[in-house]
Amino acid sequence: MILIKKIFLFFKRESKLFYRNIVDLFSNILFFFLSIFIFVFALGTDEQLLKSIGLGIIWSLLLLSSTLSLRRFYEEDFNNGVLIIIHMRGISYELIVFLKILSHFLFVQMPFLISIPVASLLFNLPIYEVYNLMITFIIGSLILSCLSSMSASMNLLNKANFSIGGIIVLLFSIPIIIFSVGINEIESDYKSLINILIGIALIFLGISPWASASFLKLAIRNK
Amino acid sequence: MFSFLINPSKFNKFTDIIFKPLVFISSVILIVGLILVYLSPLDYQQGLTVKIMYIHVPSAWLALLTYAIMTIYSIIGIAFKMPFSFIINRAVAPIGAVFTLLCLISGSLWGKPMWGTWWVWDARLTSVSILLLLYLVIIFLNQTFENRDVREKTIAIFIIIGSINLPIIKFSVDWWNTLHQPASISKLSAPSIDGSMLQPLLVMTIAFSLIGLMIAVLRIKAEILIRKNH
Repeated sequence: MILIKKIFLFFKRESKLFYRNIVDLFSNILFFFLSIFIFVFALGTDEQLLKSIGLGIIWSLLLLSSTLSLRRFYEEDFNNGVLIIIHMRGISYELIVFLKILSHFLFVQMPFLISIPVASLLFNLPIYEVYNLMITFIIGSLILSCLSSMSASMNLLNKANFSIGGIIVLLFSIPIIIFSVGINEIESDYKSLINILIGIALIFLGISPWASASFLKLAIRNK
Repeated sequence: MFSFLINPSKFNKFTDIIFKPLVFISSVILIVGLILVYLSPLDYQQGLTVKIMYIHVPSAWLALLTYAIMTIYSIIGIAFKMPFSFIINRAVAPIGAVFTLLCLISGSLWGKPMWGTWWVWDARLTSVSILLLLYLVIIFLNQTFENRDVREKTIAIFIIIGSINLPIIKFSVDWWNTLHQPASISKLSAPSIDGSMLQPLLVMTIAFSLIGLMIAVLRIKAEILIRKNH
């Protein structure tokens, strides 16, 4: 029961931080929409063309805008010592990472779910594609949260080259984008692809707490 | 007997003995292989361009082999905490990147006359170019971290995760319909390539791997020296 209370308090803190830094989220969403506008200006307003490539553009922009929030994943908590304090309250680093991933998934990735229908309205996407896009985004963003947790915790140890974290997230997000955009091409048998996505999500949910926690421990030791 | 593979000082001793013969043998085999390539028959469809194969295929194999070696060494290095495996990871990554680049460039030079394009977004080509990206990220990661232990562990974990790509490259021609032809030598049944072409190909492969080994030995020795001085 005490652990559940601690987890509840953790989420309470995260939600408070989320409401304080809501401008940050809005600027991420603004980046997303602005890049859609730039794409449309670059490609012209041919309706058929936009319809055929809209899904890919939306997915790749979602990936790019999720790398924007990479810096804030652990850095603040690490620099002001909150991570160590939470650990001293009796929560292991692995559990902290897991909760962080969940809160990143809820508070950073899920608001994009609201912006997806609006974005697909701009590309005139058919309704089943929007439906598929939202389902795949719910699963894919969980994988993205795991990946950004790993690369953000790695970046804590890295004082020279910050863009490498984003590069690693983009590199490992290639399978996500293959399977999630591939859903619309195989209309009959799309459930198998969703199962593969869920499988990847579960694998990463298993790996990333251990990997990120080992990086966090190293970072705290070398601080 | 094989302890030179995991022990830096034994590696130094062993390679001091074998290095000069290695240079000699590899240059002899390279010259023999080039002569065999020159004498090898032309393809009835592809004509002279088939000779790109004698560079393309060995470099592709060695690109995969280098990554596999790095994967094995990173697993050993993480499991048994052996620093020598991290030395090898750091030394060997640029060699693999060069082999991958050679494979991609020769492939695209071969693709222009045969397929009509320099580049297709085909499963085999895409996965090999992802291998090149993995190598480049490994090289960048080598210059990123200040703390050496962290850097080595991070790179080893990255290499192990990235090794998912190796079976994808191997089986991409079987799983998807690709423009790239399926495997004709590295398969379970008899090779579907004529002996007169297989012979120079194998000799060139041996020459390429010996040259790669030569450069790797030099780089590993330099890396051991750097580590000793720090």
